[in-house]
Amino acid sequence: MIAAKNISLSIHGKKLLRDVTVDVLPGFFTAIAGPNGAGKTSLLKVLSHEHNRYQGHVSINGTGISKISIAELSKLRAVLPQNSNLQFAFSVLQIVEMGRHHHKSNQREQRAVLDEVMQLTGIAAWAQRDYLTLSGGEQQRVQLARVLAQVWQIKDHARYILLDEPTSSLDIAQQQVIFNLVKHACHRNIGVLAIVHDLNQVAQFADHLYFLKEGSVVAQGNTKEIFTKPIIEETFCCRVNVYHDPCTDCPYIVPDKTTLSSSLKTISV
Amino acid sequence: MAGYALMLKHRTRAILWVLGAMLLIVFLVSLSIGQVTIPVIDLLSLFLNKLGLFSTYQPDAVHEVVLWSIRLPRLVMTVLIGAALALSGGALQGLFRNPLVEPGLIGVSSGASLAVVVLIVFGASFSLTRESISMSLLTPFFAFSGGLLATWGVMKIGDRVGRTNMAVLILGGVAINALAGALMGLVIFYADENQLRMFTFWTLGDLGGATWWSLLLAAPLLVLAIIALLSFQVPLNAIALGEAEAFHMGVHVERVKRSIIFFTALAVGVSVSLSGTIGFVGLVVPHLIRVLFQSDNRLVLPASLLGGPLLLLLADLAARTLVAPSELPIGVVTALVGAPFFIFLLVKTRNKTELTSP
Repeated sequence: MIAAKNISLSIHGKKLLRDVTVDVLPGFFTAIAGPNGAGKTSLLKVLSHEHNRYQGHVSINGTGISKISIAELSKLRAVLPQNSNLQFAFSVLQIVEMGRHHHKSNQREQRAVLDEVMQLTGIAAWAQRDYLTLSGGEQQRVQLARVLAQVWQIKDHARYILLDEPTSSLDIAQQQVIFNLVKHACHRNIGVLAIVHDLNQVAQFADHLYFLKEGSVVAQGNTKEIFTKPIIEETFCCRVNVYHDPCTDCPYIVPDKTTLSSSLKTISV
Repeated sequence: MAGYALMLKHRTRAILWVLGAMLLIVFLVSLSIGQVTIPVIDLLSLFLNKLGLFSTYQPDAVHEVVLWSIRLPRLVMTVLIGAALALSGGALQGLFRNPLVEPGLIGVSSGASLAVVVLIVFGASFSLTRESISMSLLTPFFAFSGGLLATWGVMKIGDRVGRTNMAVLILGGVAINALAGALMGLVIFYADENQLRMFTFWTLGDLGGATWWSLLLAAPLLVLAIIALLSFQVPLNAIALGEAEAFHMGVHVERVKRSIIFFTALAVGVSVSLSGTIGFVGLVVPHLIRVLFQSDNRLVLPASLLGGPLLLLLADLAARTLVAPSELPIGVVTALVGAPFFIFLLVKTRNKTELTSP
């Protein structure tokens, strides 16, 4: 697992994270939610080792993260950004292939991995297409295929993918596609940590959940247990109602309309 | 998909072979054509004769001198400079994730020029003339240092807590170029009539000064820089997605960045020390390869290595033959052909090209 213990991080004198402890378990979908500026992205950057000047300790599968070379680290964890801005015309296959640069397997193995992830993400038919001509949702699927290819190993030890609001600019159907694919990856001994803004998607997909606010964890645990009205209201300072889907018993939230005018007043003040 | 992967590989190889063959043909034609025409068959005989394989052949004395002392060093230099400039352009464009970057834009060329101009003007008081051997050893060193210093300055201007702000970097390049230009003007103020004439040629590019002596130190340095730059094909592909993304994929981004800056400064600096500033090769060649074929750096870099010399040899051939027996400055030819072509490319791809500051 990825274990982050007592992480504190300040940049330019501003405290972004205060004593945060997070575990990412292989085979599970862990979500981070919280208001803007809560330190979610900073935490993700600590876990991916992009930030390395923090207090506390991060380990992957029991080894301290700073003791792992960047190349080795890339085989253990991959990161899917919100969106990518590519300036040059690469084909879809060339993009997915980038995830395999550090794997010294033979050509047949490489091709088998590429084939598998591209089939899985449903982009095999686009292999020759120019990435820049794809829609946002399609591009994100290609990026997901690249990220999966990066940690796709036959040898079975735990690997992780970290996602920073991977569906923020996608329509509802594409959002479902991406999260279903990510969830599916959990079955391959891959641990998922995702920052998710849409709380209904958190409820639908996450096994574990961390609520972050002002750099601290305000609640953590099993999604079913902590996805409750009081915790969400405390985290977001916003009135909500939590209901349950009668078919699946999955919780969902609706903002409380009756308090809307008062929250608007707070904003204007 | 497997078929497509294989096709890509074969296509890359085919493109490189074709470019290589074209380069060889143009090289032989360039060797043969000039004020003294040496038939290709005589070229072969001369080469074999030199190798001691064809000793019955009595070479024409004029041909021999023209080939060995004038044309061959000049063409070897042209090939090396073309490769160094195009490869540097390709690597910088990849590094800065911007197809409009070229060595001139980030200060390498002007920094190198300034250093060389300083050396020429003030070297005269240490009785260093342009033809002397110590001069041909000192010039590449000065040019490299000047280029590196200028590029380092531009990098520092564009540096934002370890990441590069592209818009600021390019404006920084404009500023450093202006500063170097002003300083050059100041130095030239102290130059005599003869040196002044030399500078004119310098700023327009001049491949005519090639001797084996001038290549003695410069050629190994250029080859070193070329080999080093060629090794960044895969990291540059990852960087195309973004610096953070490249780091996630296991690339030491800062190390790659610093190495590429260092070796392009070496390549361009040494090129400037040999021939003055030759524009557009570094910009147009990699760009052309991307537009014609693909953006994968596993093609762009090696193809630039072959395409750069090809373009520069053709430009040199035009410069030598169009107004024979006189000769046009090479920079004039590359700019005359390169600039309109570049404008055409810009207009054609303007929807895709944007100056971004990630």
